[in-house]
Amino acid sequence: MAREIYAYKCRLCGTMHYPFRMVCKGCKQNDFFEFDTVPLPKSGKLLTFTTVYNLPAQYDVATLGLGIVELENGMRMLGQLEIDDPKIGMSVTGRVDVVRKETYDNYYGMVFTAA
Amino acid sequence: MRDVYVAGIGITTFTRLEYPLAEIAAYASMMALKDAGVTEVDQVYVANMGAPRVNHQTALASAVADSLSLLPAGAAAIENGPASGAAAIKAGFQAVASGMDDVVLVAGVERMREVNNLEATDFVATLTHPLAEYTYGVTLPAHAAMFTRLYMEKYGVTERHLAMVGVKNQNAALNNVWAHLQQEISMEGILDSPEAMTNNPYVAEPLRFFDACPVSDGGAAIILVSEEKAKELGRPMIKITGIGQATDTHAVFEREEPTDLLAVRKAAKDAFAMAGLTPEDVDVAELHDAFTILEIAESEEVGFFPKGEGHLALEKGDTALGGKIPINVGGGLKGRGHPVGATGVAQAWEIVTQLRGDGGKRQVEGAKVGLTLNFGGFGNNVVCLTFVRED
Amino acid sequence: MSVDLEKILRPVESPMKPYEPKYMMLASGEAVVVRQVFRDEIPDLLKAVEPLIHVERDYYDVVAARVYAELLGYYQYRFQDQYVLALQVDGELAAIVNGRQVTPTLGLSLHTLALRRGLRIGAHGFAAKMEYHIDALGHDEVLVVAESPIGFRRWMIEYKLEKRFETPHELGGVPSWALTRELFDRARSKLVVGRRPVPPDLLDKAMDKILPPSDPPTPPLDPLAATRALYDPTATALVTQRWEMEKGAQNA
Repeated sequence: MAREIYAYKCRLCGTMHYPFRMVCKGCKQNDFFEFDTVPLPKSGKLLTFTTVYNLPAQYDVATLGLGIVELENGMRMLGQLEIDDPKIGMSVTGRVDVVRKETYDNYYGMVFTAA
Repeated sequence: MRDVYVAGIGITTFTRLEYPLAEIAAYASMMALKDAGVTEVDQVYVANMGAPRVNHQTALASAVADSLSLLPAGAAAIENGPASGAAAIKAGFQAVASGMDDVVLVAGVERMREVNNLEATDFVATLTHPLAEYTYGVTLPAHAAMFTRLYMEKYGVTERHLAMVGVKNQNAALNNVWAHLQQEISMEGILDSPEAMTNNPYVAEPLRFFDACPVSDGGAAIILVSEEKAKELGRPMIKITGIGQATDTHAVFEREEPTDLLAVRKAAKDAFAMAGLTPEDVDVAELHDAFTILEIAESEEVGFFPKGEGHLALEKGDTALGGKIPINVGGGLKGRGHPVGATGVAQAWEIVTQLRGDGGKRQVEGAKVGLTLNFGGFGNNVVCLTFVRED
Repeated sequence: MSVDLEKILRPVESPMKPYEPKYMMLASGEAVVVRQVFRDEIPDLLKAVEPLIHVERDYYDVVAARVYAELLGYYQYRFQDQYVLALQVDGELAAIVNGRQVTPTLGLSLHTLALRRGLRIGAHGFAAKMEYHIDALGHDEVLVVAESPIGFRRWMIEYKLEKRFETPHELGGVPSWALTRELFDRARSKLVVGRRPVPPDLLDKAMDKILPPSDPPTPPLDPLAATRALYDPTATALVTQRWEMEKGAQNA
């Protein structure tokens, strides 16, 4: 089964959220669990990016590509980049993969490559 | 609401300090208490971000109050990320303004060099969104870098502008004995010579080593008092006239216009409204230049310059000592250092020093109105304060 | 008899090509000259290194103590095939790097000791040392270890060194890392800088005399501060001491 990252759609007003929040920022109705999960699209355009050289302690790679992507549905997300020469505005596609390892745990997130 | 005055200030050298955390806070506090001429306070607020995680210490305010023999004063620690300092000043202000307390000690402290640089980077990164940001390996330099790239694309800011802020602030720190960096740098050395790219490597493209503040230990403290008490103490009457605080989305990518720092704009607007001032009235400002781009962006959002023109004002020298609106004349975070919890209080320390006319070589002539902007998270929690000298 | 014994004690020195001096600009805009130091000038270095043995922070004590021993060993013919490079700003000593040749194809890095901070002088020194091993002496690889986190970050991460954990390093017997010619070539454009020849006035100034650093690293106010803090959590003595020192600094 392909892994997904989910957006959260308010059942009352339809506003989409990513990441998850407890109260909808659209209608601000204080009802509990009024969200449906919707998989985030996997393709979009690169909005901005960086290559990080000073990584937090847990990483044993020398550099890490990171970028903010505007997905096809207009939502944005942050992801790791596996792109040699990123450019603002380029098309990218994502896959859900391990983005961080801590001793016994794997953490999954979106990794983007050039489309 | 009662008026609130700053009666005393104190600071430690910002550098690597091999002393217990509470002692660093107490040291700055002793200076502030002595400066104000008080030995008793009603309330202690200690601003700090990392004690439980970095220094393995909790309930820091109780330790500081006891160390200073201020018992049985009330005490509480305030953790608000890198904006802890100004948030603690706000709490102290509210305590005095409400009439509940007459004398409040606000101390800010951080000891980040107890751990190595990689762990310190990770510790600061924990303020990002746990699932949507932190998991991916995002650090504060990474956020600032992505922001910088957009700013370059949209407004024509270049690496030269960033380096100009770096040179201005790091060299300004030479006039501040308490500042961490006491090393002059030059445009040639960090940008123009054949060796510059090795001297000044990328930390997160397009941000370079000299675009980022150092990791520092340090403490700062101020004493807030009521008007009656201030007159009794007879110190220069420096009044806190405006306070604005605003929040923005936790995940940076959720912001509609990614080059806007709406929380900065709102916090400054509210502070000016409360003070009855405009950006033109400010004589000296302390902005939160954890990264060089932030001084440029904040100088626009606060209202000193139109959006997208901060770097042009910088080119003209408007933000240097002697310019239209001198910014970070004591080195800013870039030169003074950035012990995260202490920074907001250290900014107030610098502004009060300026308004008292005690700035020495870095004094802004005739400064009467000062502003501090303490920027938490990556712009998701911002506090703006205005200070006015009353003669 | 004693002359013969000395002959046995002295290592046989291999011929090693001298290091061609170079210079570069620092972030401060000052020029730093990198050049080789031979036996006759070692006492000047010893004088500058000795005080650092008592700087109990940032690993200055352990590194300075070892560098002192290595330099003395070199000076008194008790260290085989060691070389020493000095980095000088305006004649003043800014850093010392040293290493040795193990075999004609294998180099070994000993220490990098920066006497000025915040300008990447140590990084320039380390790069010059690797350049000497690979380009001048023709070594295929250089064994490296780090004694401080700063060193680890610089060498292991920036150069992406390979593990040679089966080889204990001469320095402390810990597992070695290696900089190969290939890794060095990859890092060259980014990390190895410098201009040759050094303008005569700069070179003369450097060769004339190794001047002591005007602002060397100093011990913490209380040399046992870190240790004492564990036993004296309120550290009253330290507060008073700092207070006096900083009152002085403020009035200066």
